[in-house]
Amino acid sequence: MRPVGFSTTPNLVLRLPMWRSRLMLFLLFFVFMLLLLRAFWIQGPGNAFYEAKGVRGTQRELELPASRGKILDRNGQVIATSLEAKSIIAYIDTVPDDLSAEKIHKLAALLQMNDADLRKKLREERKQVFLKRQVEPDIAQQIKQLEIPGIGLNNEYRRFYPEGEAMAHVVGFTNVNDQGQEGIEYSREDALAGHAGQRRVVIDRLGRVVEEVGIDRLPQNGKDLQLSVDSKIQYIAYNAVKNAVEQHHAKAGSAVVLDTQTGEILALANYPSYNPNDRRYLTGEQLRNRALTDMFEPGSTIKPFTVSTALEKGVITPSSTMVIGASYLIGKKPITDTHPNGTLTIAQVIQKSSNIGAAKIAMNYLTPEEMWDMYSAVGFGQAPKIGFRGAVAGTLHPYKKWAESDQARIAFGYGLSGSLFQVARAYTIFARDGELVPITIERSPEFKPGTKVISPKTAQEMRAMLETVTLPGGTAVKAQVDGYRVGGKTGTAHKLVGKGYGNKYLAYFAGIAPISAPRISVAVMIDEPTGGSYYGGDVAAPVFSTIVSETLRTLNVLPDITTRQASIETVEPAEAHGVTHKTSHVLAKK
Amino acid sequence: MNRATLTLLSLLLVCALSLVAAQQHARRLFVSLEHAQIEERRLNQDWLRLEYEQRNLSKSARIRDVARNQLNMVPISPDRTVYLKEAK
Repeated sequence: MRPVGFSTTPNLVLRLPMWRSRLMLFLLFFVFMLLLLRAFWIQGPGNAFYEAKGVRGTQRELELPASRGKILDRNGQVIATSLEAKSIIAYIDTVPDDLSAEKIHKLAALLQMNDADLRKKLREERKQVFLKRQVEPDIAQQIKQLEIPGIGLNNEYRRFYPEGEAMAHVVGFTNVNDQGQEGIEYSREDALAGHAGQRRVVIDRLGRVVEEVGIDRLPQNGKDLQLSVDSKIQYIAYNAVKNAVEQHHAKAGSAVVLDTQTGEILALANYPSYNPNDRRYLTGEQLRNRALTDMFEPGSTIKPFTVSTALEKGVITPSSTMVIGASYLIGKKPITDTHPNGTLTIAQVIQKSSNIGAAKIAMNYLTPEEMWDMYSAVGFGQAPKIGFRGAVAGTLHPYKKWAESDQARIAFGYGLSGSLFQVARAYTIFARDGELVPITIERSPEFKPGTKVISPKTAQEMRAMLETVTLPGGTAVKAQVDGYRVGGKTGTAHKLVGKGYGNKYLAYFAGIAPISAPRISVAVMIDEPTGGSYYGGDVAAPVFSTIVSETLRTLNVLPDITTRQASIETVEPAEAHGVTHKTSHVLAKK
Repeated sequence: MNRATLTLLSLLLVCALSLVAAQQHARRLFVSLEHAQIEERRLNQDWLRLEYEQRNLSKSARIRDVARNQLNMVPISPDRTVYLKEAK
């Protein structure tokens, strides 16, 4: 038999129909076409998606941190600043379950937690959890060195307040997310807040940044803010109020110091206060900026305005006399004075703080409208526009609603209310020859024109009267200051308790200094003094004296009583700038 | 292959290599820039921290305490002060 090759064996010859091979050919061709089209799609129109995917593998978006602006006092001293801190985050899934007890203990110690609490936190049913926020950088570094998987550090800022309690009510504080919550931090949030930027970078296999692709958003640091408040004067005021509150076993106290020439707030102090650096105590009563948020009846501190209205009208002069008597019946309850007076001049009504005198001036010489116009013009009934949350307007009812007894009582400060700040501001009209000064809490040391309320003549007459209050025979001899002539008005107001007046008092003193050329307006309030005397002249006037004496010294104001104690020598200008020798010589001589 | 092709090829190679070198150089520079920026930030933070510390040491409450209790100083009062006034 002739051998037959396998491929040619007739047995295996299949007679296949032609269409099958055609179909095969077509199918192959078709699939190749599909592949080709797909390749074309990927390279061409559909490319963007894959490019983006590639970029995502190598590019990252990073945050460019921005810091919150600093707050400075009028001399450029820092009163609030942001320092870098870290927050410690645990990515729960990544943290190994069998983490050694030793490491947990070390981490817990660094976080100032106990081991059990930390374990509990690490077992929470969440993706990530903040273990601790605002950790100091060196502690954060130690945590990093423990090299625990799944424990990450995030950059953030922590706010510090070097002046602590003394400045707390002015600056306020921020929350953990660096947003202002109180005080200036809150009211100037827009200016202070920083806005983080963002940039895109290329990273290598190890996650290192190797190239910057672009900046999407530039970071914007918050603006620094300079306040008109002087840390030294603020501290003086805070300390004086604090001492008085402690000495008189009072509930609280406040003091406001204004520069009458520039309208700047030099100090705004309240006690009790809080430490804004310690987050644990940032709640409750002590947060209130009492000088701005608490309304009270200003009592006798309002009398100078009643008298000014009458002086301005020309119906009385400081030396006009009036019969006072032991009591004066208007409405249901008679008005009385602390010490009965016979006949007083108008100046003595102020000096001795006669309620009957003030009421009689109002009833005999003034209409409710005239009085309302005056109180309103000096700022009662309107919230001061200095950007503090909760700054109250006080109440000053429309004069058409005043009953006769209302008019008489409003004349000596009952039946209207305001904040201590409003009182301090109102007194600037006496300091400024009749102008009410616009007030600012941001530094602007130029002279500000005010709104005219009374004539210079009336203002001068009032200054003279206010000075007599601090001279022998007045209600506030304790307000006297060595070297400076001062003037002011005491106030001792019954506190409204529920619906009536109880045996609780507010002691005030509001005044200006030095009288010869007033530079500052100071108002002091001590709330519920209980240790013995509760009179403004005994409780608040000494605080005024301390604040004025130390403030004027700090501001380098020349004494205006040369005869009493201080000596003033005149030197040539050249010497004034290089005074060391002369000064030491003169001092040595003394 | 003729000589022209060879020359062009070697030129191409040189170009390609220099591109790689340039890119490497750029990255190095970038990394050092990054380092410098981090350093700047760190120094800035240091400065802020030192400013804060200085402020903390010079705050009114501390000055008062040190002056009164450690240095036994007393506040000045007008009777012991000579005021100098510039002659006009």
